This record gives sequence, C-alpha cells and structure tokens, in this order.
Amino acid sequence: MSGVTLEKIVKRYGTATVVHGIDLQVQPKEFVVLVGPSGCGKSTTLRMIAGLEEISDGELRIGDRVMNRVAPKDRDVAMVFQNYALYPHLDVAENIAFGLRIRRVKKDEIARSVTDVAKILGLTDYLQRKPADLSGGQRQRVAMGRAIVRHPAVFLFDEPLSNLDAKLRTQMRAEIKRLHKRLGVTSVYVTHDQVEAMTLADRIVVMRDGRIEQIGAPMELFNHPANTFVAGFIGSPPMNQFEAAVEMEDAGPVAVAHGARIALPALDALKGAQGRKVIVGIRPEHASIEPVGKGSTVSVELDLVETLGSEALLHTSIGDTPFVIKAETGGDTDHLSSVNAFHVPVERIKVFDHETGRVLGSSQMGAAA
Amino acid sequence: MIRHQGAGPATEELVIEAREALRHRVRRRAIWVGDHFRREWQIYVLLAPTIIWFILFLYKPMYGLQIAFKDYSIFRGVAGSPWIGFEHFQTLFGNDQFLRAIKNTVIISFYSLLFGFPMPIILALMFNEVLQQAFKRTAQTIVYLPHFISSVIIAGIVITAFSPSAGIVNTVLGWFGVDSIYFLTKPEWFRPIFVGTGIWQEAGFQSIVYLAAIAGVNPSLYESAVVDGASRWQMMWKITLPSIMPTIIIMLIIRIGNMLEVSFEMIILLYQPATFETADVVNTFIYRQGIQGGQYDLAAAAGLFNAVVAFVLVMAANTIAKRYSRTSLW
Repeated sequence: MSGVTLEKIVKRYGTATVVHGIDLQVQPKEFVVLVGPSGCGKSTTLRMIAGLEEISDGELRIGDRVMNRVAPKDRDVAMVFQNYALYPHLDVAENIAFGLRIRRVKKDEIARSVTDVAKILGLTDYLQRKPADLSGGQRQRVAMGRAIVRHPAVFLFDEPLSNLDAKLRTQMRAEIKRLHKRLGVTSVYVTHDQVEAMTLADRIVVMRDGRIEQIGAPMELFNHPANTFVAGFIGSPPMNQFEAAVEMEDAGPVAVAHGARIALPALDALKGAQGRKVIVGIRPEHASIEPVGKGSTVSVELDLVETLGSEALLHTSIGDTPFVIKAETGGDTDHLSSVNAFHVPVERIKVFDHETGRVLGSSQMGAAA
Repeated sequence: MIRHQGAGPATEELVIEAREALRHRVRRRAIWVGDHFRREWQIYVLLAPTIIWFILFLYKPMYGLQIAFKDYSIFRGVAGSPWIGFEHFQTLFGNDQFLRAIKNTVIISFYSLLFGFPMPIILALMFNEVLQQAFKRTAQTIVYLPHFISSVIIAGIVITAFSPSAGIVNTVLGWFGVDSIYFLTKPEWFRPIFVGTGIWQEAGFQSIVYLAAIAGVNPSLYESAVVDGASRWQMMWKITLPSIMPTIIIMLIIRIGNMLEVSFEMIILLYQPATFETADVVNTFIYRQGIQGGQYDLAAAAGLFNAVVAFVLVMAANTIAKRYSRTSLW
C-alpha cells in the first residue's frame, strides 16, 4: 500500500488562489477525511490528488513517486464521485468492469473480479440492471465497486454520501468503514459533514479558505480543537462560544460574561491576564444540569427544549448570548422545562484568544487529567 | 322492483347510487376543467397562435384530400365533384413516370439518410473534441452558414461549381488531365451532387442538436473515465456516443418520418429533362402534374400516397425504437 504526501500544494485559478500551500502526509492504509465548509478547497485538493486538476505549485507523491505531471490513469488511484458517475447505458456488471475493459484485462479475469466485487458489496442480484433501475444506495455501491475492482493503491471519495437520505447515509457510512477495514486501502475522503468525518476517519483534516486548520484523530479534534473554527465545526451541536473578560481571583482565573462568573483552567497563558478579552468555549454535552464537583454554576434563561429521544437540546441564553445544553432525558422531558442553570467542570472549558481565535496553552489540570 | 333478501341493498339502489356517483364525478371534472382554464388562461392564449396555425394550414386543407377520390373540377368545387373511388391511384400505379418517381424518392432518401444522417453527429463529435475555442467557434460558424443561404443561391453555387466551362470542379479535374464532365446533365451524377449539396447545406446546422445533447452529458462521467484510464477516443465511443443515443434515435425517427419529403425545391432548381431518369421524385411529379398540368385530383392522390407511406414509416420507426432502446417520440 502507498501513502500520499502533499507538500506545499497550491492551486490557483488565474489570480485567485484557492489552496494555499497545504502539507499533508497520509500514511499507507490510513483513512483520512478532509472536512470543511463549501469552498474551503477540500474537493480541489482531492481532485489534484486524482489528477483531474493541475497542481499550480508544490509536490504530490503517491508512494515514493512524484505525481505532479503523471496522467490520472497512471497514478493508481480510484475515485468515487458525489453523483456516482455511473454510465447510464451500461448495466451494473459493465459499469464495474469499465475500468478493467479500458485496461484490456482478459475477459475471464474481468468476470471473476466483477463477481467477487459484487459479492463483497451485495450486488450479485443486480448485475444485469441499469443504473436507472437501482436505488440511491445501490448506485453508490456500484460506484464503489467500480473503484474496488481495480485494486488501486489509493481510494479517493468526493462526498460520496451527500446525495443519499439520512438513514441510507448512516448505513452506507458503516459499509464504507467495514470495507476499509477489510481492504485496508489508503483512502482520502472529502465531506462537509462532520459526523461522517468523525465516524469514518483515522485522522481528520479540517480545512477553511484553502488552508488546513487542524489535523488529528477525531477525538483529539473534539477534545482539543486548535481554534474557534475547529471547535465550532467539529461536534454536533457545535461548541458554545462567547466573549468574556478574564478576572484573576485567588482560586485562579475567572471569565466574566453577562454577569456570569465561570472558573477557567489555570492556563499558563492566563497568568496575569487581568482584564484580557477571551473567547470561552463549552461543549453542549459538557454543560450539565446536575451539579458537578469542581466547576462553575451559570444561570441561564430557557427558551426552547428540543427532544431527540434519549437526549434533549436545551436552547438557553446567558444574557443575550445563546447557549445550548445537551441533557439526558431519562425518558421524560418534563423536568427539563424548569432548568435555569448549568454546571460545568473547569477542566472542560476551552479558552481561545480573542484576536486570533487560537486555543490558549494547555492547562496544568488538563495535562494532569 | 327486485329486492335482495337478507343483508345488502337492492340492485336498483346500487345502480342509482352508482349513477349518482358518476354524475358527481362528471360534474366535479367539469368544474375542475373550468377552474383550470380560468386559472391558466394566459398559457392557452400563448398556445392559441400555434393551434390556429395548425388548424388553418394543416387540418383545414385536409378537407381537400377527398379530391384524391373524386373527378375534381374547379368549377364544381370539392363538394360538387363526383366520387370515383381509387381510380386516380390505379392511374398512378399504371404510370411509369410515377413509379420512377417513387423509385427515385426511395433511392435519394436512402442515400440522404445513409450519408446525411451520420454527418451532423460526426461533426458534433469532432467539435466536441476541439479544445481551441477560437478555432472551434470559427469552424462552427463556417459550417452553420450554408443553412442560412436561400436554396436558389445554393443551387446557383452548385451549378456554377459544376459548370463544364468555368466550374471549380472541372478546373481541378482539368489539372489532372480529366476532360470536362457535364455533371448536371448526366443522370448518374445527379444523386451524389444532390445528396452532397444537402449535407453541405444542413449538416452543420443539424449538428447543433447533437452539440446540445453532448453538453448535457454529466462531466463526472468523463472524469471517472479519465481516472479509469480511458483515452479521448474511448471516451467518445464509450461515453459521448451512447449518452447522446436517445437524441440520435429521436432525430432518426423524425428523419424517417420526413424521408419521402425530399427537398423538392432543390431538385426543381437542379434537375432538367436529361436527368429526370434519376432526379424526378414524387414531389416534383406532383408539382408537374398538379400545378403545371392542372391535374389536381391525380396530384392529390400522389400526395396522399406519399403521406400514408411517411405515416407508416414514422410509426414503424417509433415502434422499433421503443422496443429496442427505451427511447421513442411517443
């Protein structure tokens, strides 16, 4: 298996630069997800790896080979497209076999490969059907079959699940995960859906405006976001963020916002930070409606309770700042309508620089934990 | 009155109920249609000119078709002329000139279909492969241009080009030591010249339909094929051509329907008695007999025959297309 290395990759369209010199090392057999909002350059990056877009600057290597000027067919990659890109005039078997036919693989070998792939993807009964006669999920499986059958060194997925409904998406997500476990092929996957990124990735690459904001394992990004953008993008619902001023007390730093006083972790960056403006980040799942050991209690005004089943989202506000709390329902939401405060353990609080949005240095408490 | 014993209403009651329900349905439908017209009248106003045109110029003249079965006289009118059954058809099929016209129509149509139909498709595929935009636009303009030139001028250009004294064709042949050929007086040259002229005049313009179809092909099919390793030639054969096949089939059905409608004004402009043997088609026969010879009833019979054959052809083509390709006109 080959890894993929991007070194200072730049993409320009005329005078507009859409990818600003990104560096990324995808290890062999690794599943890396590029995630970010529309226009962040994730699909362009993927297309540069596939060879569908020229690389304006920098170096792309697959394995040890520099691929900048290599034709897509010689890069040993297979790509799954957002709209499946199935040939409407060919049946499932012919669609899967297309790449092999183009490469003039022997007929009996093609038949064997198609049968194997169809078995893996549960498409055996549909081999003679045309794409128009398949459901969205089946079409997606055929698209994956077309990629798998060639045994490429790298799989590239360009938002492959975004055309499916929510239920099917969950199902296909699990199938892709199982498939990757089984085949162990290096994969680069593009999505704007952070849930997909969290569930599928060995490592997530969060992108914004053609730059990488953070690279890390899903839980690393969730627990230790590098900045307010990553904190807001990873996690559902996103992390609550609000401006506050730091006040130094005997027990340690405290954030003051809208009359609320929230104890902050004893960060090196907050030493002598009296009056400094910061952004405080608290994940909805870390704000508890039950009292916690060492932490703060913040009064809120409850606007709305959104019931999800075992959990509920409490839409509240601290002053005029909206704040979402994720709470267990225990099968009943009646007790949630009287919520007027939340409690948050000090080690769960993230503090970001007001100007740059970067997270402020690791806390002694967090490091100890 | 027959009544059922036991449970269930009487048959008569059921019939009355059913009638009532039907009446309600009809009334509801009438109300629905009325509402629909009141709501959407603007659309019908827009549609009206086309419908009026169809009625006036395509349906109303059908009334006159009956003269194909009558001994028509201008003085007695269509209604006043006596019926004579299939006499005109018997006359036509006993007429060598008409049979020759049918034969010529079929041969010319077949050649036009064989050589003329694929040409716009080939042109569109070629244009699609041209990456240099300025060259593409210039080439497209050049091939579209003849379509906008009047048939009379086109015929003039053809006559001049094939002229034995100063025509470019004979001049070029002269360079190779070939004696001048009187192309337009030789029956064996008429069909190639006519079919070639038709291709030159229309192929470019007809390619627009296929270019539009090609533009509608999902670009990711090509990208996927590129990643799979397909060459441009393979993409043309395996993606572009199959993707525009429904358009090709529709155009073929329409073409077959119009097959016998050989562009007769061009034939009239190019043919002469010396080439009647290969050039005279049903439409020119109708023109000579009906308009020039004043035999309107005989010409109407010939025209009706032409229309019936065209109708059968388009029905057959549509049925075949539906059976083998999922694509059809209706």
